[in-house]
Amino acid sequence: MDCENCGKAPAKVHMTEIVNANEKIVRHLCQECAEKLGYAVKQHHSISELLAGLTQGLLSSRHEDVPDVKCPSCGLTFAQFQTTGRFGCAQDYEAFGELIRPRIERFHDATQHVGKVPGGNGSGLARAGRLRALRAQLSDAVEHEAYERAAGIRDEIRSIEEPGRD
Amino acid sequence: MMMTLDDLARQTGAWLGGSGPLSEVVISSRARLARNVASFNFATRMTPEDKTDLERHARAAIEAEGVAAPGLYVDLFGASPVDRKLLVERHLISREHEEATGQRGVAIGADERVSIMVNEEDHLRIQALLAGLAVGEAWRRVDEVDTALERRLDFAFDPAYGYLTACPTNIGTGLRVSVMLHLPALAITRQIEKVFQAVARLNLAVRGFYGEGTEATGHFYQVSNQSSLGKTEEEIVRNIEAVMPQIVEHELGAREALLSKERLRLEDRTWRAYGMLRHARTVSSDETLALLSAVRMGVQLGVLTGVPLKTVNELMVFTQPAHLQKKEGRDLSPAERDAARGAYLRARLAELESN
Repeated sequence: MDCENCGKAPAKVHMTEIVNANEKIVRHLCQECAEKLGYAVKQHHSISELLAGLTQGLLSSRHEDVPDVKCPSCGLTFAQFQTTGRFGCAQDYEAFGELIRPRIERFHDATQHVGKVPGGNGSGLARAGRLRALRAQLSDAVEHEAYERAAGIRDEIRSIEEPGRD
Repeated sequence: MMMTLDDLARQTGAWLGGSGPLSEVVISSRARLARNVASFNFATRMTPEDKTDLERHARAAIEAEGVAAPGLYVDLFGASPVDRKLLVERHLISREHEEATGQRGVAIGADERVSIMVNEEDHLRIQALLAGLAVGEAWRRVDEVDTALERRLDFAFDPAYGYLTACPTNIGTGLRVSVMLHLPALAITRQIEKVFQAVARLNLAVRGFYGEGTEATGHFYQVSNQSSLGKTEEEIVRNIEAVMPQIVEHELGAREALLSKERLRLEDRTWRAYGMLRHARTVSSDETLALLSAVRMGVQLGVLTGVPLKTVNELMVFTQPAHLQKKEGRDLSPAERDAARGAYLRARLAELESN
């Protein structure tokens, strides 16, 4: 089958578009036309490229004035970050602070880490978040009468609350 | 004993074993952790000297902790393009890592279960790849490697945002888990979109593993978590593992329905695919994947016997361009590759028939 747009190259991208609720349009395009018409990302896109695309959409703010903020540590400007979607160093998260926070929240639907922390127990907020998550898991386990799992979670909570006990 | 890249090209990674939970449908499970060393800039702001320096630190930590033992470290900067592609086909490095520039590498552990990319988008990308549905086990393995490396490397971490990464979509746990699924019956019976919709509601992403567009070549799909912040690693693992038995059940149900309603067509489809693989003189890699997909389903339904799932999985990887070129020991044009692929498939299947 040839591309329905240019008719020159073989159709490689097959799209089903959902218009309105139930109306479907099936399109058969060659890679080049698909890219041109904005239907396809470049070939062999991987998860991270795809996510980068998403991030750019999410993190770019065409209509806002871009403040001229520069990271004192690596020298990356906020405008540069908006073009690439990549930070230059760990300090950027602090340097761009409130400029990135709402966008992070939109992508992750969260602003507080609750998982593993370096050194096992860690400190401060992450530790509190971790404890919160463990307590939620504990009540879930008890509710489902998974007592063995509950005992394990309880031990973990104790080890965080009283480091150096074991 | 030190393994070489040539040994690797000849052996089979553990994830191709064709065994493991739900392996009729779930080919492999992967967990990947993103980590950055606090005292260095992220990749885009590193000088060539920084990259060399970071690689030296990282390699020293990896070797001292023995986390990728017995150990093969491939210097990707110095490696040939075919060697780099071989590692992508083997799922040991990302396509980005293959195509990047500058000093970078990968440490590969026993049976290719663990690999650690150095100087990827993040300083370290720790990955575990296992056969079947084993996301929890894959997470445990990367967790173990991370805990060991943490003894020697100080990772960038923030109390609120967790592990800090070059791309803000990876912060928090830095964890991305994924499974590779084979869903031919759901695709043939046009039920796959329903699965996609259900999975999307759980905040998981689906994409075709091979090929482009909505028709994934061979009906291989990858499901992975979207966000990495705000949930514990265990929650992320459980979220993806919980949905798998249902998808597998739907796929197997659709296969059984095909078998009972259209047995002759299904048998014909399977044996035609086998016949092509067994006798064709020239085959493209896309066609090979589509044919192997049909054979794989036929094997699982008992329509075709004598071809183990392990062989089907191996053929999917060993018939890819870099593997063929490595085997032939030279660069091959696309036409030469198609011929070499045909010859390789004929030889492997003839060997099975003679046993």
